[in-house]
Amino acid sequence: MKHQHKWMIQVLVALILCLAMAAPSCAAEKYKLALSLAITGPTSDAGAPYSKGVEDYIRYVNDTKMFKDAVVECPIRDDQYQTDITKRNFEEFLSDGIVLYLNYSTGSTLALKKDFEEEKIPVIPASFHAGNLEDSHYIFLPIATYSSQCIGLAEYIAANNKGGTPQVAMFIHPSAFGRGPVDDLKKAIAAGLKMDMVEVVEHGKDLDNTAMLQRLLSKKVRYVICQTVQSPVATLLKDAQRLGVIAKTFGEDGKLTFVGAHYTGGNDLIELAGSAAEGFYWTTSYTLTSEPGPGTDFQLMLAKKYSRDDKTANSHNYTNGMMVAQLAVETIRRVKAKNLKVTRENLYNELNAMNGANSYSPGNTVGPVTYSPTDHAGVDTLQIYSVQKGVFKAVGKPFVPKFAK
Amino acid sequence: MTYFFQLVVSGIVVGSIYALAGLGFVLIYKSSRVLNIAHGQIIAAGAFITYALTVWLKVPLYLAFFLSMGLTFFLAMSVERVFLRRLIGEPIISVIMVTIGLMSILDGLIYLTPFGTVNYSFPEFFPKTPVDFHGVSISWTQLVGVTITFLLIALFSWFFKRSTVGISMRAVSDDQLASMSVGISVPRVFGLAWALAGMSAAAAGGIIGNITGLNFETLHAFGIIVFPVVILGGLDSIIGAVVAGIIMGLIQQFAAGYLDGHWGLNGTKDVLPYVILLIILLFKPHGLFGTHEIERV
Repeated sequence: MKHQHKWMIQVLVALILCLAMAAPSCAAEKYKLALSLAITGPTSDAGAPYSKGVEDYIRYVNDTKMFKDAVVECPIRDDQYQTDITKRNFEEFLSDGIVLYLNYSTGSTLALKKDFEEEKIPVIPASFHAGNLEDSHYIFLPIATYSSQCIGLAEYIAANNKGGTPQVAMFIHPSAFGRGPVDDLKKAIAAGLKMDMVEVVEHGKDLDNTAMLQRLLSKKVRYVICQTVQSPVATLLKDAQRLGVIAKTFGEDGKLTFVGAHYTGGNDLIELAGSAAEGFYWTTSYTLTSEPGPGTDFQLMLAKKYSRDDKTANSHNYTNGMMVAQLAVETIRRVKAKNLKVTRENLYNELNAMNGANSYSPGNTVGPVTYSPTDHAGVDTLQIYSVQKGVFKAVGKPFVPKFAK
Repeated sequence: MTYFFQLVVSGIVVGSIYALAGLGFVLIYKSSRVLNIAHGQIIAAGAFITYALTVWLKVPLYLAFFLSMGLTFFLAMSVERVFLRRLIGEPIISVIMVTIGLMSILDGLIYLTPFGTVNYSFPEFFPKTPVDFHGVSISWTQLVGVTITFLLIALFSWFFKRSTVGISMRAVSDDQLASMSVGISVPRVFGLAWALAGMSAAAAGGIIGNITGLNFETLHAFGIIVFPVVILGGLDSIIGAVVAGIIMGLIQQFAAGYLDGHWGLNGTKDVLPYVILLIILLFKPHGLFGTHEIERV
């Protein structure tokens, strides 16, 4: 009996060893990405749909077996917009062997820049802060920087202003995210962009902007460029509507025309500001579901496939997350197409080679993604949109801001 | 001159909303000497309940507003019963730490609902055309907000001065042991203070939500923004909250109107109220109307 028992244990151990040795050859190859972002806490109204965009596209890639037996893994972790949590998440992702990292906020991207350099890992953040690219080799912005966006808006103002030099104010978030484009816009003005920067206003949690709006009008300001998030812009627009100072036509004399960069706009602004959002001008590099096309059809299909609600499906932050995942997956595909191993280094080289004939069009941007060793801002093209009858509609054709270079 | 009066009106509007939002701090502190750090979350919860009743359950706005006040009355009372009742007699710092924990719990609960990450806005109930008086304008939302604020503050002031329950709450605030000796139930008074604070927070949330839209981060930030107001007014004074709120509102508007953007100054509207707060506290450490407790040894 004792002998039989020993024999059974030996068989069991042998079986376990066989299975363990066979496991690596049976297991699907895994390409490990990771995302840390604010699903709760400040800016989670943007972070939540962004994370769903990433999650859905990665699920789609695996469900449709885009890489046959290989799978893409992309764990998503909430960092509550706190850099220390982002850093902890990033370090844990590194120990899991990720080859490409998706980050979120301006603050954490700037704080972890040195870590990205040391680890030599390509990073695609949701922050389009131009400062992310300074002294950095591994950060790749998906679309035009906030600075480019503000300069693009300023160029649009200069081109469409009637009579004299346009008087402009900036309404910005009190952080690096908000302040980033101010100096770049001032440089563009110094380089010949025809406009006067009258004032830069950093907002707080304001319940009433009457004094500020009246002051800007008294200084003959006609345009307000907003570089912040939707909520303060909504309050600003509501106050401007109450005071009757929103321009009915672009640049109307004696009134204010409000324009804003990527994170000021989208359906959330219309939701928060209601009718006061009418006539607000906004720029981004993404296509919108209110302007249907093949890219937006795919987006809506994806959202429907994974049972997302209408608000998420039509959110430009969902597009944003989806596009970043598309970009990461496309880079992996290109590396594999060259029969190379999917490593950090090969992904980095492939991203740097994404230009000219190799540029990438994900379908939901108004221009192609182009990178080079000296240019890590993805889509350079911008589209101006304005709120017309409660939805954002395209105004004019996509363009690349001349003064952004 | 119109400009000046416009700033005065805007200052009073903002200040009275600060006062209403700060009232919850005062009500709890007045009876229990506790600072409720989770007050901002209750403000946000009140706004979301009003929205859910109005938009999802199609309850008329005015009714939804009062219903949400009723619901937060019981919500805050339950919070006090579950988390804080056991801490009666414990060091104040322990109680404050519990309210910090409570803040995280309420945060987490709100993030489990759509309101945590999705922005909403109340339907536009009021006329878009503002009330205009010789060039000085005030929106209907603001006007209704200010009216409700003053009505509620008057009601609370009357309640504390004239009603038996209100007087017993003041008695508990003055001396818990003496109050118990005359038959006042201290735990019940604490529960009621939390409930009334919840009610006022819901009213503030409904009004702020109508002005700014429903964004969780914006709404719960008001719990902290109004803190200097209640410090300035005196933590245990309702009239202090009103006066300090209006002072803060006026300072902000005048700073934004006359200082910001001139002589290279910017952001004075956010800094100046704190500078003035510090100066006043140097001379009146208990705030403008706060009780100066004298301990005889």
